[in-house]
Amino acid sequence: MLKQLKSIIILAMIALVTLCGATSCNSSKGMSKKEYKAAVKQAEHDLNAILNDETDWTLEEQLDRINELKKIDFSKKNPEIVEMIERAEQKVTNAIAERDRIAEQKRLEEEQRLRELEEQNKPKTALTDYFTMIANAKDVTTANNFIKEALKMFESPDAVVLIRLNNYGDYDRPTTAVNYLNYLKDQKKVNVAVDNVKYNEEHKITELELIKK
Amino acid sequence: MVPVLMLALCFKVDAQVLNDLGNVEMDERELYTMTKQMGQFINRFNYEEDQYGKKLNPNDPNFRNPKKRKDVLPLLFDLDNPRTAGALRDFFVEDLIKNNQYMEFLGGNWYSEVSAKFKWKGQMVDISMILVLEKEGLGSKWVLSNVFFSEFQKYFPQGELAEREKHFLHPMSHELDFMNIYKVFNDPETVEYYASTDYMPDYLTLFFYEIKQGNLKFDHVESVKFHIFQIKNWYFEVSWFNRSGYNAGWLISNLIYLKDEEKAALLKLYQPKQ
Amino acid sequence: MKKVLFAIAFAFFALTGYQAFAQEPELSPERKQAIDSLALEKVRDLSKYVKLIGSKNTPWSEANRVIDRAEELFAPDAEIGVSSLAKTKIEYYKVRQYLERLMRLNYDRVEIDWYKIQYVSDLQRQPDGTYVGVITIFQTFKGYDAEGRLIYQDTTKKDITVYVKRKETQIGGRLIGFWDVLLGDMRVKETTKK
Repeated sequence: MLKQLKSIIILAMIALVTLCGATSCNSSKGMSKKEYKAAVKQAEHDLNAILNDETDWTLEEQLDRINELKKIDFSKKNPEIVEMIERAEQKVTNAIAERDRIAEQKRLEEEQRLRELEEQNKPKTALTDYFTMIANAKDVTTANNFIKEALKMFESPDAVVLIRLNNYGDYDRPTTAVNYLNYLKDQKKVNVAVDNVKYNEEHKITELELIKK
Repeated sequence: MVPVLMLALCFKVDAQVLNDLGNVEMDERELYTMTKQMGQFINRFNYEEDQYGKKLNPNDPNFRNPKKRKDVLPLLFDLDNPRTAGALRDFFVEDLIKNNQYMEFLGGNWYSEVSAKFKWKGQMVDISMILVLEKEGLGSKWVLSNVFFSEFQKYFPQGELAEREKHFLHPMSHELDFMNIYKVFNDPETVEYYASTDYMPDYLTLFFYEIKQGNLKFDHVESVKFHIFQIKNWYFEVSWFNRSGYNAGWLISNLIYLKDEEKAALLKLYQPKQ
Repeated sequence: MKKVLFAIAFAFFALTGYQAFAQEPELSPERKQAIDSLALEKVRDLSKYVKLIGSKNTPWSEANRVIDRAEELFAPDAEIGVSSLAKTKIEYYKVRQYLERLMRLNYDRVEIDWYKIQYVSDLQRQPDGTYVGVITIFQTFKGYDAEGRLIYQDTTKKDITVYVKRKETQIGGRLIGFWDVLLGDMRVKETTKK
């Protein structure tokens, strides 16, 4: 019985759509009483489904259906349908906006991730190059200039530098970027590898983790 | 001196294998053979470090290896002293190997003797302080266990037994309200004869008292040596030898075969309250 | 009465319980090795600083900065005790005083070199749980006058106290456990000239 009813409704819908499509009707005028009644019933069903999240239609399909319904003039006999259409339209447009916002956010995040990955790979080598350049500088002035340049990669000269000793969670006393770079100048040797780098929004290093070679 | 050189070869070092600190290019064998710290003395004594000075893991087959230990032990003696370079030494080494005897840092029964100069009533005097490791809290510390100061010892001579036996308060003195007690104080030299037979003068307390009184003022340390009673039936001393050659640093400077039952009396001198 | 006894027993337990929590498990040989290396590295760092401070080629401002860094390696109350073959009585210096004296030495040129040898003691714990060790190194010092003549030289044995303490700090919301290595008293003893 229910199945029968469903097929009748679908048939009626097709009839309605083709009819309206063909005649480009924009009101309930030209509809038989019976047709209008069926249209009201279908509209109620579909709108409720949309409003109660009980449909499998995509948001675009839902919006298409709402636009179809807007072409029928329910205002005279069924103002409640008009109100439902308004609510449904609001709901669907909001949902589309929210979905697009999330998608955009995800896209931006992915972009950021890729950029960071790229940044991470890029300055990682540059930073270790600076380490070597500072440690092997021919004199103090040259070393100091390299330090000045290298510090531009950091958020501040006091950015944290961690030196990991092993894989047992043992670290040396935490130090700062400026102190570590000066340390390289004084000790004239590099015995660490870059293990992890954290950046701020401006892609400046906020935290550098080194590991003893 | 030839055997010493051969012993030095036990510590022969290939500089390449070392994580080098400096760049002085020269024969550093002397510095390797030198027993640089008392801790190194113990590690070599037990053969718990290899010839490069690297600590051996207890599950390393070389850890306390008797053969290697036997090669290294003779190097830990002052070879200029017949007492520590002859048959007694060989007997000692044999005993150590045969009976698996080892030194232990926190094993007790070893003492540090710090010879120092103090100012006492305006003149410089020598005082030897005895220190011992004591466990406390999460670790340990060196504590003073006794002092030797001739001025203190002078006041408490052993005294002739016959003389000592003359000085006592008879067992019925109490009935006379101890009217005879003044005799105790007649002669300050014999006052302690009236104390219990167990009485031992507490030099450490005298020492602290003199310091608190302001009569004794520390000046400086002259030398440090160690007295080791840890090895069954042996006593030995370890002193610092600041000299060139392959027999320098912390070395055994005295060795005595001493039965454990005889040690007790001697130990009382180092740590009266044990 | 029972209640009082219980309270006392509880207080005692709480106190000793705290002690037990403060106690760390024995370190594995691998971790001890890492700490030994870290301690040795601090001594190496000091040796480099000493060379820089002593060198007449180091600009004055740099030498002062290096003195600051060298001083930071030491515990605040650390002292340097120096004796020579001629003068066996120990002279005491504050770390800064010792380093500044080195900077102002009246030689035209100095050469400070370190022997490759070093000896790292076992780490022992003091009552508060801090590990203490001693690292022994050897140094040669040569002082030359303006004509390039060697006017002073010595070889010294330096026994340097090393304190190692486990500490924790929050960094970027992460708890980092680190080994705080500080140098303590240093004994400088002249050894026989070679």
